Amino acid sequence: MTQEMEFKKIIAQYCKVKPEEMTADMRFREDLGFSSLDFMSFLGELEDTFDVELEEEDALKVLTVGEALELLKKLQAEA
Amino acid sequence: MGKLIRDILEESAGKYSEIAAVKWLKKKDILERSYKELMENVVAVRRGIQAEGFAGKHIALIGVSSVEWIESYLGIITGNTVAVPLDAGLPLEDLTDLLNRSDSEALFLSPKNQALLEGILASCPKLGKIWMLQEETLDFPNQKVESLAELKAASSGDDARRPDPNDVATIIFTSGTTGKSKGVMLTQGNLAENVISVDYTADPGTTLLSVLPIHHAYCLVMDWLKGFSLGATVCINDSLLHMVRNMSIFKPEVMLMVPLMIETIDKRLASVDASIPKKAVADQVFGGNLDIIFTGGAHLDPFYIERFAEYGVKVLEGYGMSECSPVISSNTEEMNKTGSVGKPLSNASIRFENGEILVKGSSVMKGYYKMPEETAKTLQDGWLHTGDKGYMDEDGFLFINGRVKNLIILSNGENISPEEIENKLALNALVGEIIVTGEDNGLTARIYPDQDVVAAKGLDEEAVKSALQAFLDQYNKEQPTYRRITGLVVRKNPFIKSATQKIKRQEATVDEPQPGV
Repeated sequence: MTQEMEFKKIIAQYCKVKPEEMTADMRFREDLGFSSLDFMSFLGELEDTFDVELEEEDALKVLTVGEALELLKKLQAEA
Repeated sequence: MGKLIRDILEESAGKYSEIAAVKWLKKKDILERSYKELMENVVAVRRGIQAEGFAGKHIALIGVSSVEWIESYLGIITGNTVAVPLDAGLPLEDLTDLLNRSDSEALFLSPKNQALLEGILASCPKLGKIWMLQEETLDFPNQKVESLAELKAASSGDDARRPDPNDVATIIFTSGTTGKSKGVMLTQGNLAENVISVDYTADPGTTLLSVLPIHHAYCLVMDWLKGFSLGATVCINDSLLHMVRNMSIFKPEVMLMVPLMIETIDKRLASVDASIPKKAVADQVFGGNLDIIFTGGAHLDPFYIERFAEYGVKVLEGYGMSECSPVISSNTEEMNKTGSVGKPLSNASIRFENGEILVKGSSVMKGYYKMPEETAKTLQDGWLHTGDKGYMDEDGFLFINGRVKNLIILSNGENISPEEIENKLALNALVGEIIVTGEDNGLTARIYPDQDVVAAKGLDEEAVKSALQAFLDQYNKEQPTYRRITGLVVRKNPFIKSATQKIKRQEATVDEPQPGV
């Protein structure tokens, strides 16, 4: 499984959209129906799954699936 | 004479001196404070406040949960001083407004919120001192700013006098229906009576994980004050990002949650492969020891109570509001009825007026700080008008079935005043008319664009929507997550209005364009 698919599978736990139907421009709150806490919980899972540490303030600025994936890649590159 | 929080705390410090009162994480290490150590720090803060000349004044606190926060809070209220806990997530201008309106003369500030210092110093001239909630001494170029360690070091001399049960202990801000938040004045007796009257006992050392914001009455009184009264070990959840991880680290037996948290955890339960035994799933998600979740603050779908029971976790729903210190009623292990919010506490009487729930009792607030009109409207002959509609069944269980006041209650328990947000958003020239509504765990702005601005700028439908979304994104950046606007509906027609040209709020969704149309 590619990292992107694993990432989307985590997102899919919190919404009704299937991983293969997710696009980079989808917004977590408006398009995927995440609650504020779903989003926090999702970020926590990203940390545990991919062994990265998010800065809460930066992470909460993320609005779309694409932005979250970019942030993850950036953190992995820095690690 | 009635009990004080000071009496409750001193009893616990005596009985449970060696038990851990608080545990928290520092990186990957678990640190702890025993009841004996906690009490020593509380007394040091109280004596420091006395020595610095702030006894009897109003002292605010801004910060997320920390051992320093709770020791300072207790140092304030176990003396004859008034604590004003504020939401650290609010924008600076809201915080300075609340500091000034509450007549706070000193402030405890978390180091994480140090960025607020300059703005607070500039806008709150009444503040005589700001103590940073840290043990390390501080080198800040303003004599008003010191560290908690310096305050405790100043604590020589006399102790503060014991407060009277009728003295105001704390002022907690809550959303007002007029768009201006109100400071709920709770007395020493109000708090202590709520702690004593909530019918729950646990063995000393019972592990409790605190995940709600500490400035909220529910968290402050039930996680912390009630927890300390039982000799429980209160563990601090350092971030909502790590709630599930921290459940596996601290392995709590009891937690307080708002319905939103239960809904989110349920999504994680549902995503686990159905072939895995439920006990294994519960161990993984809840940490292995969780027995009870107390919930309140918003409506919980009874579905979740049955669902969590499958995983061995009892969900007990209650009802309360800051004005009642805060618990009014609660289901208990012995007496519960799904769908109800339990039986009223022994110190609360309930009656109904046109369906509205009225409450009287020893935990009902003294009033709203410096708001005599609001107080008179809400407290009549000692009966508090809750703004909620409900009924009592033949067995004495209370049920909630609606709202009288115009407040949006989100499933995270936050009460939102739509007018407060509408007033701010209406300042944008493109916003002609606006109504904010609450649905799907979030807020939606329904906007009728100003047609003159649309015409002057030559904007088409798509451009109007993009401009409004960009404006909301910008607004959201400065708001705590619960006040963010997550939905936008651009209306093609003005809202339906009353004869006095006021928008009919209950008809705000009439005549809306459908998605995709």
